[in-house]
Amino acid sequence: MTDLLECRAVTRRFGGVIAVKPIDLTLREGEFLSIIGPNGAGKTTLFNLISGHDVPDDGTIVLEGVAIAGRAPERIAAMGLARTFQHGRVFANMSVRDNILVGAHHRLRAVKPRLPGLGALAELAMALIRPPAVAAEEAALNHEVLEIAALFGDRLTPRLDQPAHSLSYANRRRVEIARALALRPRLLLLDEPTAGMNETETAEMQSIIGGLKARGQTILLIEHKLDLVMRLSDRVIAMDDGAKIAEGPPHTVRQSPAVIEAYLGHRAMGEAAL
Amino acid sequence: MGSWLDYTINGLIIGNIYALVAVGLALIFGVSNLINFAQGSVYAVGAYIGWTCFTYLHTPLAVTALIVVVACAGLGVAIERIGLRPLAGAARIAPLLATIGISLVLDQLLQIVFTPDPRALTSPLPNWRISVGGGTIGALDLLIAATGIVSAAVLYGFLRFTKLGWAVRATAQDRDAARQMGVNTDAVNMTVFAIASALGGLSGLLVGMYFNHIDPAMGFQATLKGVVAQVIGGMGNVPGAIFGSLLLGLTESYGVAIFGSSYRNLFSFALLLLILVLRPNGLFASARSTPPEPMTGSFVTPNRPVRVPRWAIVAAVVIAAAVPLIPAIPYVLQVLTNAWLFAMLAISLTLVAGTLGQISLGHASLLLIGAYASALFALDSHWPVWASIPAAGIVTALLGTALIAPSFRLRSHYVSIATLGIGEIVGLVILNWESLTRGPMGVTNIPPLQVGNIELDNPRAAYWITLGILVLLAMMQTRLLRSHLGRIFRAIRDDDVAARAHGISLGRYKAIAFAFGGFAAGISGGIAAHQYSYINNETFTSTVSISALTMVILGGMGNVLGAILGAVALTALPEMFRGTAEYRMLIYGVALLLLVRFRPQGILGTT
Amino acid sequence: MTALLVLKGIDTFYGPVQVHFGLGMEVRQGQIVCLLGGNASGKSTTMKIILGLLRPRAGSIFFEAHDLAALSTPQIIRAGIGSVPEARRLFSAMTVRENLLMGAFARSDRAEIARDLERMLELFPRVRQRLTSRAGTLSGGEQQMVAMARALMGRPKLICMDEPTMGLSPLFVDRVLELIQAVNKEGVTIFMVEQNASLALAIAHYAYVLQAGRIILQGEAKDLARDPRIRAAYLGGETEPAA
Repeated sequence: MTDLLECRAVTRRFGGVIAVKPIDLTLREGEFLSIIGPNGAGKTTLFNLISGHDVPDDGTIVLEGVAIAGRAPERIAAMGLARTFQHGRVFANMSVRDNILVGAHHRLRAVKPRLPGLGALAELAMALIRPPAVAAEEAALNHEVLEIAALFGDRLTPRLDQPAHSLSYANRRRVEIARALALRPRLLLLDEPTAGMNETETAEMQSIIGGLKARGQTILLIEHKLDLVMRLSDRVIAMDDGAKIAEGPPHTVRQSPAVIEAYLGHRAMGEAAL
Repeated sequence: MGSWLDYTINGLIIGNIYALVAVGLALIFGVSNLINFAQGSVYAVGAYIGWTCFTYLHTPLAVTALIVVVACAGLGVAIERIGLRPLAGAARIAPLLATIGISLVLDQLLQIVFTPDPRALTSPLPNWRISVGGGTIGALDLLIAATGIVSAAVLYGFLRFTKLGWAVRATAQDRDAARQMGVNTDAVNMTVFAIASALGGLSGLLVGMYFNHIDPAMGFQATLKGVVAQVIGGMGNVPGAIFGSLLLGLTESYGVAIFGSSYRNLFSFALLLLILVLRPNGLFASARSTPPEPMTGSFVTPNRPVRVPRWAIVAAVVIAAAVPLIPAIPYVLQVLTNAWLFAMLAISLTLVAGTLGQISLGHASLLLIGAYASALFALDSHWPVWASIPAAGIVTALLGTALIAPSFRLRSHYVSIATLGIGEIVGLVILNWESLTRGPMGVTNIPPLQVGNIELDNPRAAYWITLGILVLLAMMQTRLLRSHLGRIFRAIRDDDVAARAHGISLGRYKAIAFAFGGFAAGISGGIAAHQYSYINNETFTSTVSISALTMVILGGMGNVLGAILGAVALTALPEMFRGTAEYRMLIYGVALLLLVRFRPQGILGTT
Repeated sequence: MTALLVLKGIDTFYGPVQVHFGLGMEVRQGQIVCLLGGNASGKSTTMKIILGLLRPRAGSIFFEAHDLAALSTPQIIRAGIGSVPEARRLFSAMTVRENLLMGAFARSDRAEIARDLERMLELFPRVRQRLTSRAGTLSGGEQQMVAMARALMGRPKLICMDEPTMGLSPLFVDRVLELIQAVNKEGVTIFMVEQNASLALAIAHYAYVLQAGRIILQGEAKDLARDPRIRAAYLGGETEPAA
């Protein structure tokens, strides 16, 4: 297996605070890596650096051999990186179907003729004329939306034409993941996909993510529900205060004294607890 | 070099006046993240209260100033309490739109009470001037300078040494934390509006005396200048606002010295755009920090748009097309033709502001570009009208997009400020580029609508042509909205961060939307030019931009049918009831206020 | 001992997400009571509903005889509750001295305020050295002390602290904990929300453990410190002891 993503000494400072201390991270093709850590550990900041929503002050980020640190997020997305957001960012006034279709944006071909300098104009013309090739492409994507929605059982399929703001919180999280999948990502970044979900919904999400993993999807996950992390991850990185404090197989990381200290406190708990 | 000193003194005096407006804007922005577009109207009210005192009560200057300060402070409190506080929790652009509505209402009330004619506001001060170096300073100059310095000192003292002043500063820094110290932030809001309005009113009085001239429309320019000064100094930064005002005053004054007085405003707005593009956080902010996001999220309320059945639309078009067959008075046709022209502007704006979520406050400038392009193609290049109008559409699409493109990376209400500035710049360039545009004379003898040799200057033909083009544009836009582009525009509006995360390049798609919208608006302007046969740089002013925005909100943001409906409702209805014509802007203002408060999704709903 | 603050049957929602499920708890006069829980357990939300920054959909909150559900945040502060917000939330462009005096905003007894300011500087000697600095220039630990002193300046009967040790270096953590105890010994009741269980239990009298919006455990702090279920609440369901 080759390295799909490689971060070297990635650093991000906000004023005097170092949100991400020089951190290394590698992710191989097909691997499932989780990042855990208490609130404020710098996990989401690290995600933002990888997806281009923030620019590191130092260090390199390489995706499939290409240095991407500082690149615009839309260019990184076009390279095959999809992500979800911590608090869920669906397009509230759009239907579930349109939300998912937006995810497939960078795969549009027929409607975006390659004309140097006039690409935007040609795209406008194609949208208005809608020649058969464009119509066929839309139809194919619409068909794909049905397939992606079907991954979530009957949660999304009956609601494809409802506006996203009318969905339950859990369904909005599902829409976000469906949208990310429509990008056919080489690398999928999931930021707390089960936040705000109850136990049943969490279990359901776990099996969906497990299904993605079984298909060979490379996944980088931030998650607080450690049981889920333990079951799915090939490898776990624990962060605290902007730094990596442990890395390795899930159960090793969970038992690591540094991790227990990060979660429970700097003084040791009573012996019975340990 | 003597005159240079004069220009410097003049620049500093004007800067002082701007500062009185800008400081108020900065205080309000600091505490409630709001650009108060009613600030200039309060300034105009201040000038008129002063005029009334001088003319009827014959009060001395000091008493007059006191009355102005107290009355305007009261007005500020009323604006906050009645117009803005009920909007807590609404979309964050809602209060901004409300202040625009309040400003329309105040301006029109001044016009009704005092007539639109300018008045002289003669300074009661002695008319001596003393020589300093090579320049001279008069009593009024000294008074203005003293007012500026004393106001700044009093404000500094208030913020630094009083309990309420501390509460204002604490609220500006962290509203929630201030509440957790027991600060009543509602009272803070009210205080800040009172102070801002008092300073604004005082500024209006002084300005009126300085130019010996007041008119009911003077507020708009004042708001603009205050906003420019604030952007220079950094939004919400009180010392920055003072610095920005002085810099603005000097820039204008030197600009006038070099290029002549018609260039005064061009310099301020060029400076505005330069700052917005290069340093959107103002001159004092560090380069790396991103602009604050005071108003993320658009004015699109979650709702289900009204579904209008296809047959109803077809029926409406047929009825509209049949109107000229009824032996109606030509006046009705004229009004409706005008409504169709406005509808073209409204569908253009609803695409940009509603579907794409970029609230443009300078859309009328696209009409100007279209009108001039078509008129000049026809007159100077001798193109037939049927070719000059579409060409005008294309020119408007390209030029409009090129002008706004540097501001594509701005967000939320910075976009509104930028479009406002661009709108002013277009008018001023037309005014000053005499070799192309004939300058202040305007363009006369524009040929009427015609196809081949058939002149179409009878009201019926003009009506049908305009209606036909509107239907065509509306159908094209509907088709556009159903394509992948409609999806992408809405995605950018709802969440541009998430849109980028899925590979959408904001610049490319904003350009496509502005180009398409520019085309429709340019066509509208082109037709209008041939109908009016005379145009000048003031044919379509910022008032038209605000009217169009009101139409769009009335119909439902992003809703093509809604935009047409809004245009008809707000253009035709006031005309139908003859007596209401002079209250038109009042109606617009009240409509805007009521919509923002009670039906933000408009009549047909946002899409 | 009487209960100073009583929460009963609280249901709280963030939009469609339910955060609290019938939450009930008490803070007794003179005690240090802590609310523990992992990420997203609803701890900070509890603080918000006590301070009136968020309203629960059901349930009651009483502070002495005050029905907090009927009061605005400034009124709640005036009723005798002080707040040390999460991440301190100092007024960063104001000086330390101004920040402290903002804490006494609801009071008008000038002479007493001056005396209290002096008392704070004795309690927090480190703050005295930074009195004229802008609060934004202080280190995290110094900011935490200013935030505590600021809350005390209101002479509250109860201080609510949201994660007072978050982001502090170990040295400062110990110091802050000692100060909390010192403040409590002067008769101020303390309610704190903490992620750091072992630290909080070391100084608290009584503790509640929140998981997914429900109290799953409560008791005397010294008993809870030995309870293996605490660890389960943070690190997941499997509670087998480490080898």
